[in-house]
Amino acid sequence: MQNTKSPSIEARLSAYLDGEVDENERREIDQLLARDAEARRLLEHLKQGSAFGASGFEAFLHDPVPLSLARRIRQGTDINPKHERVVGAPRKQRRKLWRGALAASCGMLLIGGSTGYLIGRTIDDNTPPTPVVKARTWLDDVTDAHRVYSRQPRHLVEVTAENDEEIRNWLTASTGVSFAIPDLSANKLTFQGARLLVAAGKPTAQLLFKDEDGEVYAICFQRSPTTDDSGRMIESMRDDLALISWNEPGATYVVVGPSATANFKDLADAIADVM
Amino acid sequence: MRPAQETIDISRDLVSLLPRLRRFALTLTRDGLQADDLVETVCERATGRQPVWNGHGRLEDALYTLARTLRDETTGRKRIPANLQDGQSSSENTATAGAVQQMIISMPEGLASAFLLVAVEHRTYRDAGRILDLAPDVIATKLATARARLASMASDMTQRRA
Repeated sequence: MQNTKSPSIEARLSAYLDGEVDENERREIDQLLARDAEARRLLEHLKQGSAFGASGFEAFLHDPVPLSLARRIRQGTDINPKHERVVGAPRKQRRKLWRGALAASCGMLLIGGSTGYLIGRTIDDNTPPTPVVKARTWLDDVTDAHRVYSRQPRHLVEVTAENDEEIRNWLTASTGVSFAIPDLSANKLTFQGARLLVAAGKPTAQLLFKDEDGEVYAICFQRSPTTDDSGRMIESMRDDLALISWNEPGATYVVVGPSATANFKDLADAIADVM
Repeated sequence: MRPAQETIDISRDLVSLLPRLRRFALTLTRDGLQADDLVETVCERATGRQPVWNGHGRLEDALYTLARTLRDETTGRKRIPANLQDGQSSSENTATAGAVQQMIISMPEGLASAFLLVAVEHRTYRDAGRILDLAPDVIATKLATARARLASMASDMTQRRA
């Protein structure tokens, strides 16, 4: 091979690594590599550079984002309600999307009503499934958030447990619900910290705990116009997660945890007493 | 399932994208403090009155493009000359992760950004070019140069350890 050190060969091999070559170029480079040891050496050199760079860049993600930066951004997005709006496509386009989705849904029902029924069905112990797609509730959003965040062991919370006063001030201001962080050490749960979620379009506090096995439990609450003070607890299950929810005047609460948890109701009772 | 544009809350996503946004900002500014300032400005703009993202495509691409545009505005589109010449890429620092990171972001302007977008985050040359406002063939050249430099850094470190 002639002049394998020229930038053009490096660029060709680099593009080859990125899959940015057409079929002819790929074939040419395959042939070149098959017959030319220097080309193979250069390719390995570039691969080595890629591996070194990728691992270096991966390390950037493990750097904690400076608290001051996160705080400035959070303050900027929490204080002003306009910052919490949902960014969406232009209204005109959204109508088109909904119209299309509605037409598709009708088509689905007409072609295979039973199939549509199964697709739209949700698992909820207390509500019999219906062929109509149910409106999402705050519990749906809380469950989805729990599934996502409980699998982020390194980034489980936004604010860690040692900043408990900040958590109380921040989430009380954000949700409009005053609360105390329960001590669940008797239940062998350790407070990890908190997040602010959006559930059913409302700011929602999520307090996160872990048990000795690393299983994640969450207490979520948001402001609610309810005047229900019965304290009646409603249990439900979503796949591998158990939920127990209840209302207090002005707020609604839910505890989320693994469905296999023994004495989950007792845990919810203990939490409700403190909250 | 709701349409994507109705389920995504940009403020929540911004917080979760912060590490990646900051990493990209570092490749643009090559300085931690400047990168943090840039990230903060991007977040302010992204949550301001004029949406930077219309719900189509990847939010992070829109944020990256905004970061690059703001950086260009700050520097008056004057490209910062490379602060390292060939053969000077390795510092006297020990081979710590921090030193590796410093070496990477100290590459001549544009190399780390192109490498990050394509080789690490797996964008096409065209998409990376859109973000960086560069033609795909320029991206290709930068990638080849970046890989060669990174390979040299890796060799230097291996020799130093030996």
